[in-house]
Parts: sequence; structure tokens; C-alpha cells
Amino acid sequence: MAEHPTTTWEAMQDASVFYRRHQVYSIPGKLPNLGDFIVAGCRYGGPIALMRDMNKLIALNRATPVLAKTQIQVYSSAGEGLLLLSWDQGKIVRFGWTGDERLVVLNEEGVYRLYDLQGDYQQYSLGSEAGELGIVDARIHESGLVALTGSLTLLEVRGWDGAKPLTLANPGISQPPFSWAVIPPDLTISRHVEVLLSVDQTIYSVDNLESIDQRLSRGPFTHVSPSPNGKSLALLLSTGLLWVVSTDFQRSLAEFDTHNVIGAEGDVRQVEWCGNDAVLVTWDSLALLVGPFGDTLQWFYRGPTFAITETDGVRLLSPDSCDFIQKVPASSVSVFRPGSTSPSAILYNAWENFTRRSPKADESIRSIRPDLGAAVNECIDAAGREWEPFWQRRLLNAAKFGRAFLDLYDPADFVNMGQALKVLNAVRFYDIGIPLTYTQYTQLSSSSLIDRLTARNLHALALRISSFLSLRPDAVLRHWACAKILRSKPTATGTGKDAELDGDDAVCRSIVEKFESLGGGSVSFADIAKRAWEAGRIELATKLLDHEPRASDQVPLLLNMKEDRLALTKAVESGDTDLVYHVLLHLQKRLPLGTFFRLIEEGGSHLALASKLLQVYAREQNRDMLRDFYYSDDRRVESAVLCLEEANAMVDPTAKITTVKTAQKFFSDDKERSFEAKMMDESARLLALQQQLEKDVDGKMSFFGQSVSETIRTCLVSGMSKRADKIKSDFKVSDKRFWYIKLQALTSIRDFEGLEAFARSKRSPIGYEAFVRHLVDKGHSNEAVAYVARCDAHKRVDLYVLCGEWRMAAKECKDRGDRTKLEQLRKSCPNSLIARELEQIAASMK
Amino acid sequence: MAATAATSASASDGATSKPDSENDYMLDVSQLNEVARKGLVDALNSVNGAKTLVLDPSLAGPLGLVTEVALLKHHGVDKMFWLEPGPLSASTTNIVYLCRPQIRWAKIIADHIKRHARESQKHTYTLLLVPRMSTLIRQILEDEGVLGDITIKSYNLQFIPLADDVISLENDTAFKELWVDGDETVIYDSMQALITLQRMYGLFPRIIGKGDFAARLANLMIRHIPASDPSDSLLNTASEKIDSLIIIDRRTDMITPLLTQLTYEGLVDEMIGIKNSHVELPVSLLTPPSAPNQPNAAASSSAAPPPAQTLMKEKKKKHHLTVATDPLFAELRDLNFSAVGKKLNQVARRIDDDYKLRHQAKTVAQLRDFVGKLGGLQTEHQSLRLHTGLSEMLVPMTRTDHFNKSLEIQQNLLASYDIPTQITAIEDMIAQGTDMQLVLRLLCLASIIAGGIKAKTLENIKRELLQAYGYNYLPLLLSLAAPPLAVLLPSPLPQSTPQSVAASKYPYTTLRKQLRLLLEDPDQLDEVENDISYVYSGYAPISVRLVQCVAQKGGVLSNPAAEKDKKGGDADGRKGKGVAGTGRVQAHPIVGWKGFEDVVASIPGAAVDIVQKIPGALDGALPPVASMMIPREQPSTTVVFFLGGCTYTEIAALRWVGRQNRGRKFLVATTGIVSGSSIIESIAGIERGSGTSKEVGLQ
Repeated sequence: MAEHPTTTWEAMQDASVFYRRHQVYSIPGKLPNLGDFIVAGCRYGGPIALMRDMNKLIALNRATPVLAKTQIQVYSSAGEGLLLLSWDQGKIVRFGWTGDERLVVLNEEGVYRLYDLQGDYQQYSLGSEAGELGIVDARIHESGLVALTGSLTLLEVRGWDGAKPLTLANPGISQPPFSWAVIPPDLTISRHVEVLLSVDQTIYSVDNLESIDQRLSRGPFTHVSPSPNGKSLALLLSTGLLWVVSTDFQRSLAEFDTHNVIGAEGDVRQVEWCGNDAVLVTWDSLALLVGPFGDTLQWFYRGPTFAITETDGVRLLSPDSCDFIQKVPASSVSVFRPGSTSPSAILYNAWENFTRRSPKADESIRSIRPDLGAAVNECIDAAGREWEPFWQRRLLNAAKFGRAFLDLYDPADFVNMGQALKVLNAVRFYDIGIPLTYTQYTQLSSSSLIDRLTARNLHALALRISSFLSLRPDAVLRHWACAKILRSKPTATGTGKDAELDGDDAVCRSIVEKFESLGGGSVSFADIAKRAWEAGRIELATKLLDHEPRASDQVPLLLNMKEDRLALTKAVESGDTDLVYHVLLHLQKRLPLGTFFRLIEEGGSHLALASKLLQVYAREQNRDMLRDFYYSDDRRVESAVLCLEEANAMVDPTAKITTVKTAQKFFSDDKERSFEAKMMDESARLLALQQQLEKDVDGKMSFFGQSVSETIRTCLVSGMSKRADKIKSDFKVSDKRFWYIKLQALTSIRDFEGLEAFARSKRSPIGYEAFVRHLVDKGHSNEAVAYVARCDAHKRVDLYVLCGEWRMAAKECKDRGDRTKLEQLRKSCPNSLIARELEQIAASMK
Repeated sequence: MAATAATSASASDGATSKPDSENDYMLDVSQLNEVARKGLVDALNSVNGAKTLVLDPSLAGPLGLVTEVALLKHHGVDKMFWLEPGPLSASTTNIVYLCRPQIRWAKIIADHIKRHARESQKHTYTLLLVPRMSTLIRQILEDEGVLGDITIKSYNLQFIPLADDVISLENDTAFKELWVDGDETVIYDSMQALITLQRMYGLFPRIIGKGDFAARLANLMIRHIPASDPSDSLLNTASEKIDSLIIIDRRTDMITPLLTQLTYEGLVDEMIGIKNSHVELPVSLLTPPSAPNQPNAAASSSAAPPPAQTLMKEKKKKHHLTVATDPLFAELRDLNFSAVGKKLNQVARRIDDDYKLRHQAKTVAQLRDFVGKLGGLQTEHQSLRLHTGLSEMLVPMTRTDHFNKSLEIQQNLLASYDIPTQITAIEDMIAQGTDMQLVLRLLCLASIIAGGIKAKTLENIKRELLQAYGYNYLPLLLSLAAPPLAVLLPSPLPQSTPQSVAASKYPYTTLRKQLRLLLEDPDQLDEVENDISYVYSGYAPISVRLVQCVAQKGGVLSNPAAEKDKKGGDADGRKGKGVAGTGRVQAHPIVGWKGFEDVVASIPGAAVDIVQKIPGALDGALPPVASMMIPREQPSTTVVFFLGGCTYTEIAALRWVGRQNRGRKFLVATTGIVSGSSIIESIAGIERGSGTSKEVGLQ
């Protein structure tokens, strides 16, 4: 029987709160002396990274091998070595962990690498400016970093995909801060990162907009440490006073003098938070837990320790053990506190009686009947808080026992907790070494836990857990496939090329089969193929890529592999125009122009989309290329249209005419396009004529660029009617159109005599009704009347009315003897005066 | 009993044309508005602090529909500028560009950045691309050497609700991009927008479509579903509320948009122009009369809008045409313009009566009631003023020679009556200098209906056109003749024409009979709006007939409204058949093109009919086709997507179809609202008036 949970509890605040220190792993001798190293720990039970602190002298002995080069060692919480990195770049200023357990290493030149647990890395830079200034220090949080440059400005990097660093507001300080910390963006109110710098007596809080002096007078602070929820701040004064304030510096939460702590020797090593309500201060061999009311607990260790803040406690690595210190969760207190009379404690007690076949069990259950549901829930919760499977099982059994007395109970919580505990116990196993609490597990989410396992190459366990939790196996399978490709060697030993193909085939088949059998339907084959390609397995990559349904993933890799035609075809098939552009722009840069064009043209109708998009793009951005493209494909019409578009934009008359002529030539090369050629010929002639016209009027009037009709109109309006006639005959303008133009032009300049003369010049091809209507339209009713008489007889009445000549209309009626029409007029006439006149006319009709 | 209650309710409550019970199952498209707004806010908030917003003018309209300036200000937008060439002086460090991924915008942005660098101004640049990231833009910024200075993000603006049954991508150039440039970006964007719709409401159980691009869109949608996030639960279930998606590609029916729209809203679009639901109106129409608080007889008469002539000259202001604030508009928008006057008259009388009620108010309580209603009355009064004024502006436009001549030509062409004469008439219109787009519309119409225009005649007309309007329109004529558009063709086709053009010949005359496009007896029209053809005074839009082929098969062959009278008698006897007291037939399940396969096949372009597989469905479950055959208990919505845009008349016609059935509503989705003139102008590359004003601000 494992020892009772309460044995590790220690009371605080008059025994109203308990803290417990649980030894998760016993690791004597596994870790080197932490005092000699710079350490960075990863949250959520993650590994720690160690680098020798070059500022310290160490004794040479067997335990610490002599290292000439900078090395970073990574250990799991259980003290197992995971990784050893050699660093050959500039001096490391800081390293830390990302949220997904990658190690970030930043050097003084502003270059940072992200190592995964297999030792593969991506490298990014903070930019050349940062490189020149040099990086002095940095703070790395889960989703980004803030670097302090040589000129004491701050650079922020958001996310871990190589984003461009942003410059934060300049704090304007002249010497490096005594200490500083960063509150990650997801914990601040503004949702942007906030930097706290301890300068002189005070603290500056800096974000990307401004730098605010908090006007404190107690500084300098040797340690600045924000709580896991970003709401409070633990500050250690140089006097040794520990001061806890809210991050907005409005409320002082607690103060505690660490100066007189017994057993504290030397400098304070770390100030870390234990959950959100207690602070752990460590010295070389002492860890002191300060509660919210200044109560303390202390533990002694054999040597230097390293504390890693977790959201619900603190993990403490010491030479002998990996401990987890936390506030005892409410449910555990409720069940196990000595003398507890809470329903859950009674339920647990009843179950123990039951197993001992004591009749008290029934009595106890009866007594808590109304609260039984809550008691069951609390037991389940308490089970989740226990480290020992023995106690987990007992608590779950108690819950199960209590459940039997409930009529309606949703077992989902019970089942979920059982599953979660099974998973947690598995990953806490020292071989795996992830000491995750239930609270952390719910925060981290099961899928990230699986990602962490795969990152350690624990595919089998990850797969089993994901199927146990009925999660999709995709992520695990993808990682597995990549790992498999890297491990497998093309079996090219001796038998030449064929054997190599076989090897690729086998790997590809085994991967595909695995995916099919495990239902990893949405795994991106492109990712895997990319890894294969990066590993130099081009054949394998091509084979894998065939299984990729998403063109957007397929195409970039195909391009990299120089499978140009295939890439273009796939892009076109996907219908994603952006992807097509991606391929086109890429190929245009890489291929000789001729080859590029041929590739598109040979595609025929299949690649029509690509061809069209190229034209759209080139029309705006690269007209010379478009000209070449049309020329190489003998597309005369398009070439001509291109010329015309350019001509339209031109201002210089001569250039415009030349361009139009070029277009004309293109058209005339195509015998189907004789009409267009003729039109362009006319167009060029017109432009030349207009140029001449402008010269003739000394530029007083502008003709250039007008249409034929407009040119005629302008001529007429400016009294050059001879020229107008000439243009009419030159351009074979139809009589009808000419008459309309002249009618409109003369009306607009109120040349009614000219109009009259024109109307008489010959029989109007457009009739005279048009004259009447146009004149009336333009408000010249009086002039219009004259033309009514020349119109068709049966329309005259209405036209007179249109002109407002009611009497004439009536007379017309009379002349034609149309009595009904006259009656109609009388009814619709506007005033009584006219009505009377009409009546008279009607009367006279007899 | 229920039925009479419903009819009486709709009669008494004139403001809403639909009884309330039906609104229950309408899809709530305002969600889309929320999504769009939230997306914008998130995008803006990703940049910390005050920012200067530089806006693509073509986005101002769509954005104006989803947000207002106050919201932008609230999220840190300090000043706004149009994205246009020339210097940009911003007072804030952050500059946020918001634009569609077009090359010219990228160039302007690059110019701004370089200019600032020269003047050593320091700014942080963010570019929000609508609706998604673009390699092209990235490339151009890189070519210009400014990619490093700018952060590129995307703002995924998709469907915007224009009305409670119309959603639009508000892409003005979709038609031209597809059928002239061959740029299929619109299809891809539509696909994503439709998938978003499915993410909200579940998979469309069936996708039916007509037209080559419609087929491409349908196939893209099918292909993309399995690739999307498998955890998305709604993408794994068939939609409860939507019974199918019908995709109509604009090329399938080019005739309809070329005609002059004759509904109220359509005519406003034709004559004045509606852009993003906004119309530019004279200020005096929009501002209430000076003394609105004294609704006595004198005030109401003095409130009459000034005569049309003066209105035309007045300063213009943008007005949002929406049912939300203007209930009268809901009654008017879909009416044939000839009926608008009567309706306005009715409403005027009703309002007058309502005002008179105050004379009957004897007690204080009655008076209080009246005062309570006063606000509503005044809004109604104001909207009555607005629409009366607007109609007055329209009337003279509909009286012009050109307008009537073109209507006459259209009607004759539709009846295939003496086509050579019509072409001569078109020629005359050119001679008279009629608006170019109107002439071209008629010409294309003639070409489509007659299967081409005699080569010699066509050449002559083209020559006339070019001489009258300028030789620079030659590319436009070539575009109209080139495949895949091919709407202006000689007849017979020259030997060298590609096969595809020959195949795209439109079988108008057969369609006219088979789809009952022309109303035989147009006199009836004035009395009842008993067929969708009322929207064009006697011609039924082919596109809507095609939708009817899927969703209201009976309506294609005969008038459901006319039939109603006949059936009314024996309806009570056969309750089981689903003929309700209202006389409206229960909508039949969607079975694809069934019954009209031949007609549909005769129209050029591919026809699709796909039953979407539910990814998660087990084999044992009902095969989807079988389950679809069972008449639905629940009312459902049919989504009709117009690829390449639709006209207001088509929306009106679909609303009419929706009213004929019980249990089926239509949700019109489109790439944008088009009209014949907007199509022709976009091909010609003419920008439509509004949106170019220097004043910055959303509508």
C-alpha cells in the first residue's frame, strides 16, 4: 500500500491551505551539477536544456566531461538524456522553449534556431540591423521572443515561423536593465506582448506603442517574475525583500523579507511562481515557498536546484529528484483532510467500510444522500489529482460505489477521467518522463500531448493513445512516415538502379498501406514527399506525391522537383488561380522565355487557363513579354488589340498613328480580318486628318481622338461645313447618319437658317419628323412648327400638339375632317382657353 | 381557417409581402454580415494602435454594406484614404491597405512605400488582401523591392447580404473576367464562398447546374469538400434547411441581361444605376421636409417632391435602397413599373387615412395611441415621398424615343418578328447617336436570337458603330465576337471559326416554345402578374425558367397562378395531395433536370446534376437519392447561384416563383448584380460613375 496522500502535505495559513511536495522521479546522479549550468525548462512536464555557464569555474572530474565547444544538453524530467547539440555559431545569448517543445537558441548575431527533439532545426534571423547592433539578451516565451539589442532597444518576434521582427517602443534607457521579464501576448489585456524592465529605482512597461515609467521607488529589482496567468508580478528587491504586486502596479499583494531566512546562503538563484498564488524562492540548497500571506514552507536540497513554473504548481529539479510542488487541490483536501466531514470524505469512508464489509457503509451513504452526486464528482476529481495509481484507483472505486446509489448519473466524467488517468500514468512513466498533472493535461489538450510523444519518436505509444482517445492518427502517421523515410536507405547495394526503385516502391507502399489501414485519410502526402525530397529521395517523393489530393500542397513541391509541366497541369486542374500564378511566375523566372511559352502553348486547351492568366498578368505588368508571347504563337488579332490598347493610352499624335498602323498591319496579315484591317486604315487616316484639321484652325479647337461622327459635328459647329462634307464622302458616312449629325449640330448652335437651308437641300433621308422631335426636345418648339407641314399627313396632328400648337393641330384635324381626333384633342388640352378655341373650330367644321 | 387568417393578416399588414409564418424557415443570412464584420474587426485589431486605412475604391461599396465608419473608428482607424496614385501623407505610424489583389493596386502601394522611404518617413505597413492572399501581389511587391517592408494578411470577405433573400460577392467585373479575360479566379472564390455557406448550413444535398463554368464550379466544390477540415461537423452532414444548389452560368442565358429591365428596382438600375444597393439621388428627395412635426393637411401637400426636371439637376447623395429601413420599397421593388404608380397611389391614400385618424381621437388615450403611431407614419411618409420622386424621375426617361424604340425592337426580336427590319432600326439608332451600350445590347440580342447577323449587314453596322462612337471600340467588338462569349456573330459563320463557337449557337426559337418564354396574351399582363414574364412585360427570363425546370416543374409548362383558379374548386376534396387552402402547391422534391433533359441539353454548355456524398455517412444509411425523393416535411430553401451576375428582374422573378409554392424559398446568390449596360461597359473597360469621388468615407 502506497503511503497516504496526506503524508506529503504541509499546512500553511493555520492549516487552512495545504501544499504538497511530491517526488515524481528519483534521479540521483543523472543530472550534472545545475549550479554550473545555464538551464531552461519547458513547461507542461517538458524537458530541460542545459548549457555550461562559462562564467563559472568548475572542477574537472569524471562526472563533467571537458568541453571545448559550446554544447547544449537536453534532459527529460526523469533525467534521461534526450539530445546533445553542438553549437558552432556565434555566442549564445539565450535559449528557451516554445509551446510545442522546440528549443530556441538565439545568438548575439541575432540568428536563432528552432531545434526539435530529433536535433533538426530551422534557422531564422532577426534581420541585418539586429545583427549589426548585436543582441544582448532575450526573453523567450511559448509563442515568441523579445530580444534586447546592443543599443538597448527591443525587438519582438511573434510566432515561430520566421516572422519579421517588430520594433517595440524605445524605452530610452542608457544601461542594460537589472533584470527584465516578458508577459506573453495571450495574457495581457491589449493582446500584445508587454515587457517589464527594471531600470534604476523603477520599472518600465513597454509594448509596441509606448514605454511607461511605473514610477516606483523601491528598485532596483534583481528578479522580475510574472505569474503564469500574467496577473501578478513577483519582484525581488536588492535588499532581499520579496514584493508581489499586480502587473498594473495598482495593488500591492504581499511582502516578505528573505533576508533572515535560516539556511539561505549566497544569492537567490530563482524567483519562480508556484501556480498563481505562491512564490518559490531558491538558494543553492534551499527552496522557500512563500504563500500569499507571508507564510512559508522550506525544503533543503543537496545541491543547486532548478525550478520551472507550471500553471498549477512548480517543478523542481534537484540533484536527487524531480519534485512537483503544488497547492493541494480542493477536491483532495475535501476527501483526505483529517477530520473532514465533507460528503466526499464520507463517501470515501463509506466505500472503505464497504470493502471491509462493515455495515457502517450503508449508514454513511444514507447520511449524505442529498449530496451524493456532488460527492461522486469530487471523488472523481480527487482521483485526477493523485499521482499514485493506487490512490487513483481507490478514489475511482469510491466514486463508482457512490454512483450505484444514484438513479440518474451521467458516467461521461467518470469514463473520461479513467481514460485521462490511463494516459497520464503512461506518459509519467520514467522512460517517457513527462510528469504532467491532470490540470496541465486539460490545458495542454490531448492532441498536443500526442504531438509531444511523436516528437520524441514514440510513435507506437502516440498511436495507441490516439486510438485509445479515438483521435485521428494523422499527425502521428505523418511524423512516423517522415521518420521512416529518413531511416530507410534506398537498397541500392550492388544491383544498380532497379533495386533502388524497388526500395522506394517498398517504402512508398508500406507508408500508403499503413495510412489506409489506420484511416489516416487526411494526411498530407505532400508533407511526407517533401521530407523525402529533402532527403534526396526524388523518386520516392514523386511516388508519394501521386497520392496527394490537394493541389495546393502538391504543386510547390513539384516545382521544386522541376516537374514543370506536371506542376502547371495540376495547378490548372485545381482551379486555384493563385496557384497557377505561383507556377507561372516561378517558371517565367527559371525557364528561358521560348521554353516557357512552348510549355504553355503545347498544353493546348488543357492549359488554356494558364495561358489566359499569363495574358492577364502580362497585360498589366509585362507587356513586352506579352508581345513576344503573341508573336511567337502567331496571334495576330491579339497582337493588334494590344497595339490598340497602347494607342488609346497615347497622347503624342505621331506615335499614336504609328501604333494604329502597326495594328492595321497585324490585322492585314490575317486574311480573315480584312474588315478590321480596313477599319484600322480608316482610323489612321482619320487621325492624320484630325491632325491636319487642328493645324488648320491653329489649335483653337481639338479634334484629335474624336470619332468620325464627332469630327463632322465639330466641323459643323465651328462652321467648317465644307470640311464636314469632305469627311462625309471620304469616310463614306451614310446619308442618314450625316443628316442626324448635321441636324443636331446646327440645332446646338441655333443656326436655324442653316438648318432650314439644309432641310431644303434635298429630300431628307431621315424624314422631317426627326427634325420636329429633335427641335422640340431641345426646346425650340417655335422653329419646329415649320417642319411639321413636311411630315406625313397622319402624324401632323400629334406633332403639332408636341410643338404646343393646339390651334394648328385642330386646323389639321379640320382639314382632314377627323372629328374624333379633334374631340380627343379637346379633352386632353391644357386649359379652357384653348378648349374654347378648339370648340369653335369643331363648330366650324360642319 | 388558418389560411384565411394568413391572408387576412397579409392583407392588413401591407408592409411585409410575406406572411410571418414563412419567414421562420428563411435562412438567416444576416449571419454572413456578422461574419464579414467580425473578420474586418479582427483584421484591423491585428495591427496595434491608431492606423490610417487606405481603401480600394471598388471595396468601399461592399464594405459599406457590412460596416459603418463608426465601427472602423472604434477599432483604431484614424483617417481613411482612397488607394490612388500620388503621394500619401499619413499621420499615424501604422498604414493599413485594404484592397483586392489587383496588380495596379500593388504598384500604387509600392510607390507609396518607396516615396515614404525617400522622404525618410517611417511607417509600418500592413496589406489586407480581399478575399485571400495572392502570390501575384507578393511577386509584384517583391519585384518592386518593398516586400520586406509590408506585412501581408488577408480579409476574407465573401457573400454580403443585399436583402434577406439575396447574397452577393459584389464583384463587379466577374462577367468580364470570366468570359473575356478567361480569368477563372471568380469561380474559385465563388467555390470558397459556397463552401463557407455549406459550413454554416450543411452540405447542399444536390448540386444542379447549367453552363460550362457552372460545371467547373460544381466539380471544384465536390473536389474540395473532402480536402477540407474533417473535424468540421457541418460539412459532414447534409443540410437540413437547404435542399439544393442550382448554379446558372451567365452564358447560359445572355438574352435576359441584354433586355431592358422593367421592374421598379430593375428600371432604377437601368436608368439611374444601383451600385452595391446604393443609388445616387437628389438631396431634396432624401431629406424630410422642413416641418415634419406638423402633419396637418397643409404640410402633407407642401411635402410633395419638387418636379422631376429640377430634381435631375440637384446635388446627388447616395442612398441605401434597403427593405430594412424602407418597408415601402419591399412592396415596390419587384412590381412592373407600370403598376408602381397605382401602388404609390394606394399607399398615399392609406397614409392619408391614417393621418386622418387623429380627428377621430376623442379621448386622451386615443390621442396617445395616435402619437405612438406617428413615428412610423412619418417614416412611411418619407419613403413615399422618396419613391414618388424617384418614379417621377423615371417616367420621363421611359417616355423618350430611344427607350420606346429599343423596347419595341426588343419585343419584336423576342418574337423573332421580321429581324432584318429590326436590324435596320438598330442602324437608325446608331445614326441618331443613341447611347452606345444600348445599341450594342440590341445588336447582340439580335445576333443571339437570329443565330447571327448576315455577314455583309453586320460589317456595315460595325463600320457605322466605329465611325459613330470611335475606332477605339474595335477591341470591344472583337471581344464580343470571340469565344467563349461569342454573342455578336456573322451568319453563316466563316469556315475558319472554331468548333466551339459553332456549337455555342443558341436555339432560341425552340426554347421559346419549350420553355414558354413569351406570354401568348400580353393583354392579361396588366391585370395579374401571373407569370414570371411580368418582369419583362411578357418575356420570361430563360435563367429563371431553367430554375423552374428544377424547382417548379409545373410552372414551366403552364401558369400556376392561372391553374390555381381552376383547381380551387376541387382542392378541398383532395386534401391528401397537398393542395392547401391558399391554393399554393406543395413544392416537389428536387430531382434534377428530370423531364427537361432535352431542352436543357439543347442549350449550349454542360449540364450537371450531382448528388453530394456525405463523407461520414455509413453504407447502411439511406442512399441520398432515395431519401431526397421523399417529400420533405420541413420547408426548405433552394440556393440559386448566378455565376457571372444576375439582374434585379431575375431576383424579382425568383421571388415570384418562391411565392407560388408552399415549402420552398429561394436564396439568390450571385457574383454581383449586373445589367446589360454594366456588362457591355465592363467589357469596354468603362468605369461606372460613382466611387471615384475624392471624398473618403463609406456610403
